[in-house]
Amino acid sequence: MKVEHIEPFVSAVFSVLETLTGAKAQRGGLALRNTTFTTQQVTIMAGVNGEIEGMALYGMSMVTAEKIAGAMMSCQCNELDEMALSAISELGNMITGNAATQLSQKGFNVDITPPSVIKGSNVEVSTKTPALVVPVSTNYGMIEINVALAENALRKAA
Amino acid sequence: MAKRIMVVDDAMFMRATVKRILEQGGYEVAGEAENGHIAIQKYAELKPDAVLMDITMPVMDGITAAKAILQIDPKAIVLMCTALGQQNMVIDAIKAGVKDYIVKPFQPERVIDGLGKALGAS
Repeated sequence: MKVEHIEPFVSAVFSVLETLTGAKAQRGGLALRNTTFTTQQVTIMAGVNGEIEGMALYGMSMVTAEKIAGAMMSCQCNELDEMALSAISELGNMITGNAATQLSQKGFNVDITPPSVIKGSNVEVSTKTPALVVPVSTNYGMIEINVALAENALRKAA
Repeated sequence: MAKRIMVVDDAMFMRATVKRILEQGGYEVAGEAENGHIAIQKYAELKPDAVLMDITMPVMDGITAAKAILQIDPKAIVLMCTALGQQNMVIDAIKAGVKDYIVKPFQPERVIDGLGKALGAS
């Protein structure tokens, strides 16, 4: 896992959140996490495949997810119902898609899979490679970006 | 009479958002689909004036569905509306006959302008 692989995800969180909700974000320090870790109260998971493969996970508290979903839907959101979960999932799709576009501009041909949302803390997640983690604080609370990516064998051989 | 648009996106939130934008822009939503496979079936059934199509969807992606719709109806007006902005995907879509490529997140005007140009040029 290279540090250059997580930067597009951090800048994607900044730009997508600002465009969707007007929120400003501030990044925290970079950390390395084991291949097995537990989720936060709400976690969006999206797969990345192609010349770089792995997973991006965006963790946040329930309150943060409700605030972001509310801002995206232009209403007060007091619970993560089906529509709010769809909004949070789409947030993950836009962030990962934006990051994939930036990775392609760096020469990595990648695609993404439709995101899934895990509601419930302490769910154990295993990734193939250790994840790089960057916490990002926003007007709505903290979002923790976990990116576990590796260049695939074809890319390494090229 | 308002032009009829079909909205294809796996996210309920996006279908609702795009539907609101279209209705405020004077369009009628002919129907919705949550993946490319359903979009092909509904296109034949509903015969909309244009299709707004996401790319990353389960079952069948939007590029595959757009190609299939354009093969069935070469005059179909399909606009991609996706989080992915990779140059190779944009080129692939345009080569397949897609009229516009809108990258999410977008401003409502971008969708209305894109549709207006695509429908005006048809």
